Amino acid sequence: MSKFNELDPLLHSQLRLAVMSLLIGVDSAEFVFIKEKTGATAGNLSVQLDKLSTAGYISVVKSFKGKKPVTTCSITKVGIKAFESYVNALKQYIE
Amino acid sequence: MSEKELSKDESLELISNMITQAKRNLARGGSFYFLLWGWVVMLANLGHYVIGKYELYEHPYIVWVLTIPAAIASMWYSARKRKRAQIKSHLDSVYGLLWLGVMISVLIILFFLNEVSYTLNAIILTFAGLGTFISGCMLRFSPLVMGGVALWVASIVAFNLTPIDQYLVGTVGILAGYLIPGYLLKKVESEQV
Repeated sequence: MSKFNELDPLLHSQLRLAVMSLLIGVDSAEFVFIKEKTGATAGNLSVQLDKLSTAGYISVVKSFKGKKPVTTCSITKVGIKAFESYVNALKQYIE
Repeated sequence: MSEKELSKDESLELISNMITQAKRNLARGGSFYFLLWGWVVMLANLGHYVIGKYELYEHPYIVWVLTIPAAIASMWYSARKRKRAQIKSHLDSVYGLLWLGVMISVLIILFFLNEVSYTLNAIILTFAGLGTFISGCMLRFSPLVMGGVALWVASIVAFNLTPIDQYLVGTVGILAGYLIPGYLLKKVESEQV
């Protein structure tokens, strides 16, 4: 049996990992902020946010700023734990 | 950005890049408050000193009404900033709460003006030093940390002076503690855009 822990396939993907890394240091971030920082298309980002949300890694809240609809994402406790495990697994590979 | 598979090194690089990206947006716009309050409080201190020292007017403290429009401008700016913010962070909230705490402390002292009498300005400088010092530590911006120390030095000097001369020390203290670091912070903020 390998001494290495498997890398979480949900996080081991460029865009989803980028989203989680952005959210790890803040309380919450809006969709447009994540889109701008990752350079992803709105369609692709929506799909990946859905996957993270379904896994319970992030929570997605839709609201309004005046008349403008706003989508706000934040990382959940499950997400923080998954992210930490992912980073620890990465460390094992690099050490 | 695609959904492609990553190598381990690429993963680590991506994580650190994104964390830095998010961090860059934290607590921005802080220079506005230091510049606004720096100018208002420095001019009020200087005004109080000149009017009081040369007995130009019976009520030199009238200059402090300048702080009322400054407080309104601060609240307006902060509400607008909160509304426009695309991210919310714990650091931003704590930063705001720190200055709310400083403001409450100063209001308590002003309320008991008769008890503190001639040491008023020196005490206010001590609190301004605390707020500036911690702000500098939170933003990891050493000119503000030094600014906080400058305000504390000004408060020590002020405790040893007559009330009217304390306003001159306050003028210099605010210049060194708020305005100079405020302009340096503004420069850094504009370079981050």
